[in-house]
This record gives sequence, C-alpha cells and structure tokens, in this order.
Amino acid sequence: MAAMLEIRGLGKRFPARAGREPPPWIIQDMTFSVGAGELLTIVGPSGAGKSTLLNIIAQIDTASEGEIVFDGVLTVSPGQKSLRPGLDRRIGYVTQDDNLLPWRTTIDNVLFPLEVQGGIDDAARARAAELIQAVGLVGFERYYPHELSGGMRKRAALIRTLVYDPPVILMDEPFAAVDAQTRTQLQEDLLRLWSLKRKTIVFVTHDITEAIALGDRALVLSRRPARIAGEHAIPIPRPRNIKDIFTLPGFAAIHQRIRADVQ
Amino acid sequence: MRLRVWFDRLVVLLILLAAWQAGSAVFGAYWLSSPWATISRFFVSLSDGELVRHGSYTITEALAGSVIGGVPAVLLPFVLRRQPIIVAILDPFMVGGYGAPKLAFAPLFILWFGIGIESKIALVAAVVFFIVYFSTLSGVRALDTKLVQMAQVVGASERQVGRHIVFPGAVPAIFAGFRIAVPYAIGGAVIAELISSNRGLGYLVQTGAMNFDTTQVFVAILAAALIVHAFIALVDLAERFLLRWRPRGAALIVDHGT
Repeated sequence: MAAMLEIRGLGKRFPARAGREPPPWIIQDMTFSVGAGELLTIVGPSGAGKSTLLNIIAQIDTASEGEIVFDGVLTVSPGQKSLRPGLDRRIGYVTQDDNLLPWRTTIDNVLFPLEVQGGIDDAARARAAELIQAVGLVGFERYYPHELSGGMRKRAALIRTLVYDPPVILMDEPFAAVDAQTRTQLQEDLLRLWSLKRKTIVFVTHDITEAIALGDRALVLSRRPARIAGEHAIPIPRPRNIKDIFTLPGFAAIHQRIRADVQ
Repeated sequence: MRLRVWFDRLVVLLILLAAWQAGSAVFGAYWLSSPWATISRFFVSLSDGELVRHGSYTITEALAGSVIGGVPAVLLPFVLRRQPIIVAILDPFMVGGYGAPKLAFAPLFILWFGIGIESKIALVAAVVFFIVYFSTLSGVRALDTKLVQMAQVVGASERQVGRHIVFPGAVPAIFAGFRIAVPYAIGGAVIAELISSNRGLGYLVQTGAMNFDTTQVFVAILAAALIVHAFIALVDLAERFLLRWRPRGAALIVDHGT
C-alpha cells in the first residue's frame, strides 16, 4: 500500500512563556504512516494529544519538530512559515464538535464547502441530496442545527466533509458525544460510506471497541507526551457487523492486546 | 399568561395616570398638565397634522443620524478584525467618545452645521456610532474560532470567512446595539431641537415651556416615547426574521465594557 500520509519524528510543545520553565512536550517523536485507502484508528487516553496531532496534520496548528509528507510531498516541516488549513481541500477534518454553522440549515451546512469552493451547481446539489439520503437526514434539509438531535448533527457534519471528496479525512472522536445506540448507527453509516469510496481515514478515539470495529489497523498512543505505544493490524474481515463486533472471532484477543498497550 | 401580563400592564398604566392626575390636582394644571388634557391634546394635535409634521421631522433626523452613525459603526469592527493593533490603539479614544456626554456637543454641532436639520443629524450620528460600534465589536470578538477553522479547512478564503462566519455570528450583537441606540437616537434629536430649531418634537417642548403650556410639553414627550416604542418593535421584527436560526429564548449577552 502506497503511503498517503507519512508522519516523521513529529513533536509538539507550546511556546515557552518568558521566565518560565519550557512547557512539556505534548507529542514527542511520533512516526507512522497511513496507506492510501486505509482506515487507521488511533486510540489513546483522554488528554493524550490526539486532537493536537490531528490539528497539526490538518494544518490548523504548527509542529515543533518533525515532518509530514502528504502523497509524496513534504507539507509540514519545522521551518514552515505559514499554515495551509486543509491543505487545499485535500484533507477533510471532522472535529469532535460538529461545528455546524447555526445560521444555516442542514442542506446549506452540507453545501457550505462547495459554496466557498466556487459555487453550487446541479451536480453538487445532487451529491448533497445523495449523502443526505445515505445518512437518513431526508426531511430535515431545512432544519437549523439547534432543531436537530446530537446524532443528526454528527451526520450532517460528517457528510459536509464527504461532499467535497477530500482524499484524506481526519476524524476526531466524532461519535464520542452520542448515546451508544446512535454511535453504532453512525459507525455503520461511516463504514458503508467508506466501503463505497475508499478514502484514507485517520480516526481518533478513546474507545478501544470503536478502534477495532472501524480500523484496518490501530495505533495506540501513550500518555503525555504522546508516543506510539503499540501498533495492531485488525484481523477481522469486512464487511463487519458492528452490532455484534464483540462476538466475532479475534475480537477478544485484539481487544486484550490493545488494552494492554493503553496504560 | 399573555392576557395576565396585559391586564397587569393596564393596572400599572392606571396607577401611573392616577398619580399624574393627583399631582396635577395638587400643583395645579398650570404647572403640571393633567393626563386627560394631554391625551385629548395629543389627538387634536395628531388630527390637525401638527404632531405629524413635528414628529416626522424628528424621525427623519433620528433615521438619518442612525444610518450615518450606524453604518460605519458596524463596518469598522469588521474592517479592523485583522488589525488588532489598530483596534488597541483606537480603544481609549473610542471609550472616550463613548463616555463623553454627546449632548454637550449639541451647541458645537449647531455652530458647525447651522440650526437646520444637519446639526441634529450630526448629534444623533455621534450618539449612535459609539453604542453600535462597541456592540458590534463585542460580537466580532465573541467569534467562535472553531467555526473559522472549519471554514478554512474546507477552503474558505479570508473574505469568505468574514462573510460567512464572522458577519452572521455578529448579527445578534449588531441588533442589540441598535435596540439600545433607538431611544438615544430619538432623545438626541429632541435635545438638539430643544437648543435651536423651528421644527420637531424638541421645538414643541421648547415653545410649550416658553408659553407655560405644559400640556404641549407632555404631548411632545408622549409622542417621542411612542416613536421609540414603534422603532424598537420594528428592530425586534427584523431581528426575529433575520435571527430565525436561533433557538427561541436564547439569552443574548452583550458586553458593553471597554
């Protein structure tokens, strides 16, 4: 598998304040790569710097050390002068908060990326309608975010990223704030959409079960400073039945191995 | 519930009118006009066109001043959004302008712009500008950076961020500013007319007082209060339409601090 993203020796610490000890490293010496079309999950304890890692990859935050190579081209390096958020729409980012625009309806939120990227045509509308159909938001197109349930908002945020088709998608615990049943539904939605169009996905979570259910491979992060504490291929064949993921052969063993690394 | 509120309002109104009537009876209608005299004169004045003539003059001043003062007050925080140093440099002067008693400038404006409508518009503009500026500034500052990052990641330019994220986010604060500014705009116009004018509600107050006609003074004040009510209702109507995306009952926090 050709590497889509290569993270090499990445480190992050926030700038020191005058007269104080330099602040501790949040991420240190992190190296891994993500193959094209791979769904990589990253699991780690809360506050381990998972969001910071994705922010650096998405270029809304700077790295203190190390490099990132995107599709063979060096995109993040320590001497970098300016950030390019989203790397010219090639990196999509589904954040922990849905970040829907409260003054836009569902459909206008979903179309927002296309609108800023040069206008909405019939093809764009058709694509948005297709995605709204795929995640079961039909009938809620004209609703404002505050009128939607938490799960619906997550779906809207997810398809807002899918609608403009970035080759790489970063996901930061996107389903953490919804109830277990809705979460399973959202995970199934995600896997179905991913199986149709194999994107490269980096999916961060603190939930080991979720990391197994979704991933081709799972990385385990240590506590601060975050480093790679373990790497596990997920030997469960696809398509996977997420509702019964616990009962599938191999689940218990991989769960135990990952659990041992998460300390 | 709603009916109850209206009933209670009626009770408060009657109490106020009774107190007024009592005051008028004690001090004499010569010094303090009675509510009945005021209300009947109000309708007479309304039907003979006198009140409309003066009221519309005051409304014109208030509207023109609100536009001239309000539009730059809304635009400036957006233009300066990426220039925090300029905002910081301007801040003490803006606070000074906000805090200075603008009504004290009325004689100066009359000196500069004459006793015509221009000096009144200038005073209203000066009053409205600072109120709306600080309100808009607080709205722009309360910007949700996560929404901005989202927009940048999906490819929004700086201009698009301003148009699609910053501006809609600041609209509630802009409305709050204008709602606060309405009575100051009408009040500013009336005060400017009081000092020197031959038309307007302030002129009615002035001539009424000069002729010891307290009824006319009260009629003019009543008219000004009703105009303020009407304009606030219009602002509310526009707000309800433009901010229909907001959950009902959402509290609006407006910081008028420095």
